[in-house]
Amino acid sequence: MDRDLFSQMDTDLNSISYLSLNYDHFDSALSSIVSSPSAAPLPPGPNDSLVLRELIGRLGTICNNKSASAGAGDHSANTSCYSTPLSSPPKSSLQPLPNMNPNPNPMPFAPDPGFADRDARMPCFGGGPHMAMSGQLSRVSSSQSLMDAGMTGGVQLEGELPVRENGGGGGGGGANNGRKRKAGVKGKGKEASLASSGTVSSKISEEDQSAKRCRPDCKAGEKKGGTEEKNGNCSENNSGDRENKKESDSDNANAKPVEPPKDYIHVRARRGQATDSHSLAERVRREKISERMKLLQDLVPGCNKVTGKAVMLDEIINYVQSLQRQVEFLSMKLATVNTSSDVNMDNLLQKDMPQACSGSMQQPLYRSAFSYPNQPQVAPLNSLLTTNSIPNLGMQPSSTLPFDGFGNANPQIGGFWEDDLQSVVQMGFGQNQEAALSSQSFQGSGPSSSDMKIEL
Amino acid sequence: MENPLSEARPHSQTIIEERGKRIKLAAEVGLARSSSGRLWSRALRRRLYRKPPQREYIVKNPTPPLKKEVPLVAEVVAGVAEEKEEIEDKVRALQRLVPGGEEMEVDRLFEETADYIEALREQVGVMRALACILDGMESRDGDKL
Repeated sequence: MDRDLFSQMDTDLNSISYLSLNYDHFDSALSSIVSSPSAAPLPPGPNDSLVLRELIGRLGTICNNKSASAGAGDHSANTSCYSTPLSSPPKSSLQPLPNMNPNPNPMPFAPDPGFADRDARMPCFGGGPHMAMSGQLSRVSSSQSLMDAGMTGGVQLEGELPVRENGGGGGGGGANNGRKRKAGVKGKGKEASLASSGTVSSKISEEDQSAKRCRPDCKAGEKKGGTEEKNGNCSENNSGDRENKKESDSDNANAKPVEPPKDYIHVRARRGQATDSHSLAERVRREKISERMKLLQDLVPGCNKVTGKAVMLDEIINYVQSLQRQVEFLSMKLATVNTSSDVNMDNLLQKDMPQACSGSMQQPLYRSAFSYPNQPQVAPLNSLLTTNSIPNLGMQPSSTLPFDGFGNANPQIGGFWEDDLQSVVQMGFGQNQEAALSSQSFQGSGPSSSDMKIEL
Repeated sequence: MENPLSEARPHSQTIIEERGKRIKLAAEVGLARSSSGRLWSRALRRRLYRKPPQREYIVKNPTPPLKKEVPLVAEVVAGVAEEKEEIEDKVRALQRLVPGGEEMEVDRLFEETADYIEALREQVGVMRALACILDGMESRDGDKL
C-alpha cells in the first residue's frame, strides 16, 4: 500500500509540474520545487513566497481546471477531480471562482495518470466496461446513474467520450441488441449515442434527476398487465420492440424531450420474475447498490480482481481506514516540520482582514496565525491561504485580494482557492497555534477571536 | 515575537503531538469544507464544530435515525443467510468510518463513501505536497544558516 501512497504523491507532484509547464511564468521556480522535492537548491529567499504562491496556485489550478472541465455542475468546492456520477441533482457552483484559466477545456493532463484515472473513471461509469450487458432488463439504477453522470460530467464527458464510448458503445451495441429498449439500457444507449452526438450530454444534463425512469417498455405491459409502470412511449417502444434495437432508438430516447418527471420508478420486469411492487423495488435497490459497489470498486485500488461483496466491503473499509491513517500520519509529519521564519511576514500581516471576525468557524484559527509573525515559514503560507480562503467561506466577495506582501497583489490567487486548499490552511495552521488557542478554537468560539489581533 | 510555547519547549514531544493533533483537526476541517454538498461533509462539519459534549445543545435533528436499513440491505446484497450477517457487520463498520454514515441508507452510504474516499485522497495529496515543499524549504534554509 505504500507504493500506492507514494505513487499517488508522485502523481500529484507530477501533475503540478506538468501544470506548471503550461504557464508562461513561474515555470522554472515551480518545476524546480516540484521536480525535486528532496530539497533541491532553489532560488534564494525572496523568491520563497513567490514559489509558494505559485505552487499553491498550481495546486489550486489543478483542482480548478479539473473542476471546470468536469463541469461546474458539481460543487465548486470540488473534491476536485471527482464528480460522482451518482451524485444527485447537479449542484450549483457555490461561487463562480475567478479562474486564471478561463477556458474550461480540460488541461492537457495527458501525462497525469492520477487525475486522468479519476476522470476516466468518473462519468462514463455506466458506459465503460462496467456495462455488464448480461441480459438484465431492468436497469433503472444504471440509467439513473448514467443520467447523473451525464448531468454532472456533462462537459467532461465530451472529453472522455473518445476513450470511453468506443468500449461502451461496442460493448453496449454488441451485447445489448436484445435489450436496448430496456429501461436502463436506455441509459447505456444514451452513452453509446453520446459518441455520436455531443449535444446529448447537454440534453442529459437537462434531464431532471427525478426523471428516474427507465424507458418503460411495452413488453412489460403486455406480458404482465399488472404492473403499474406505464409509459407514454409505448408507441415508440413498439417500434423498437424487436430484438435488435437500433441506435436510432436510443437516439430517439435522447432526442425526445424530457418526460415529465414521474414520481415512481419505471422498472422493467424480467421474464418469469415476479412483478409485484415489492420484489421490483427490491430488485431496483439491489441493482442500485451493486452499481454503487462497482463504482467503489473502481475507486479502491486493487479491488478489480476481488469478487464477492464481503471481500469488497473489506477492501473498501481497509482503504478508508488507511487513508484516514495517512492523514493522521501526515499531520504528525507536518507538525515536525521546523522551518525558519524569514519570510516577509510583515507584508503578509499588513493584509487587512475586515471580515475576519464575521464569525466564521475558522476565524480563531486564522487570527492566531497573524499573532505570531515570527512563526515558522509555514505561517506566511497560511496567511496567504487563509485570507484567500476566507472569501471562499462565502462571507465576503472574493474581491478582497491579498498580499501586497508578495510584491504584486496577485488577483489570481483568490481565484485559485479551492476549498481543497483550505485544508492546506488548516494544516499549516495547526503549527502556529499555541496552547492558549487550544482545540477550543476549533469549536468556533467567537469570543476568542477577538483576543487574537494582528500583532507585529 | 515568538511563540512563547515554542521558546519554552522547542522540541518536546508533546508539543509535536499537540501540533499534530491540531494539524489533523485542521486537515479535517479542510476536508469537511472541501465538499459542501455531501452528507459526510455535513456530518463531519457538525462533529467538528459542535460545542463540547457536556454542553450539547439540542440542535435540530438533521436526519432521522436509521430505520433498520442494514438488515434489509444485507438481504438485498447477499442472498445467503450467513453472508447476510457478515455483510451487515461490514456495512456497519463502513458506516462508522464514514462521517455521518450511521444515518444513511446503504446505497447512499456507498455513494458517500466514494466521495469521501476521493476527498481523502485529495487531502492526502495536498498534505504530502505541502510536506515536501516544507521539507525542501526547511533543508534549504538550514543550508543557508
